[in-house]
Amino acid sequence: MAAVAVVSLVILLPLTVSTRAAVRDITLVTRDMAFYLEDGTVPNPTIRLDAGEEVRFILRNLDSGITHNLAIEGWELETAYLDGDASATLRVHVPKQPGSQTYVCVPHRGMMRGVIEVVAGD
Amino acid sequence: MELDTTNWSGEGAFTQTLIDSFQRVEQVARLRVEDMPSSRSDAEYNFISNELFVGFCTRDRAVRARLLGLLPVTRTVTESVMTVTGLERALSELEDVGPPDYADEGMLQYLRTERIVPPYQTRGYKLVELVRVYEAGVRPRRTETDD
Repeated sequence: MAAVAVVSLVILLPLTVSTRAAVRDITLVTRDMAFYLEDGTVPNPTIRLDAGEEVRFILRNLDSGITHNLAIEGWELETAYLDGDASATLRVHVPKQPGSQTYVCVPHRGMMRGVIEVVAGD
Repeated sequence: MELDTTNWSGEGAFTQTLIDSFQRVEQVARLRVEDMPSSRSDAEYNFISNELFVGFCTRDRAVRARLLGLLPVTRTVTESVMTVTGLERALSELEDVGPPDYADEGMLQYLRTERIVPPYQTRGYKLVELVRVYEAGVRPRRTETDD
């Protein structure tokens, strides 16, 4: 009985792993009152996501003394407010319909806002 | 006070207020003002970002020591007469500056915001001015991509 269970596990485990969708990490940093992609130089960049993919936004606040967060209000998603040198994550199940959303820092939405474009995946 | 504004565009009313205030702090010997690369603007806002690097006056102080642990000698040590923390206290007492929005042992940070409505317009734009003050010789708090 135990041998059957082990054999079943060995056969089924790879199938389970291979069918799980990969989560893509996107790191955004806040500095000098703007969002930047990690290692990026463009403030408040346009972010392209594939329809239906799963994404984890990692937000790092590098603005000492200034509180920031990340919100995608059209999808009703929002991180906690972060003081300097802190980070938070936001997991997103991207809708299957292509379109666009705005991402903002709620306390500084006037100057910290960018666009998320959802494009049809392969 | 020796003032270097070679790398400053001159933008930023509060930056100018700070420069004027530094002239009243007698322990400040040198001041260098620079635009930060993050300054930017669009229809909704104008973001002005400047950095100030302060050099303090110095004094010599005699320190007694023992050469090779035996011979008594006197060495002269040059040290600043003020620190960033002391500067924070001095500026906080000035009515037109006040306390910084953020301070640590290496930096003072001021953030000023106002809405500007030009004549014959109703909406205007938001003016945001971020000023960071460091002691001269200290690396500014920017990531590598700014340089």
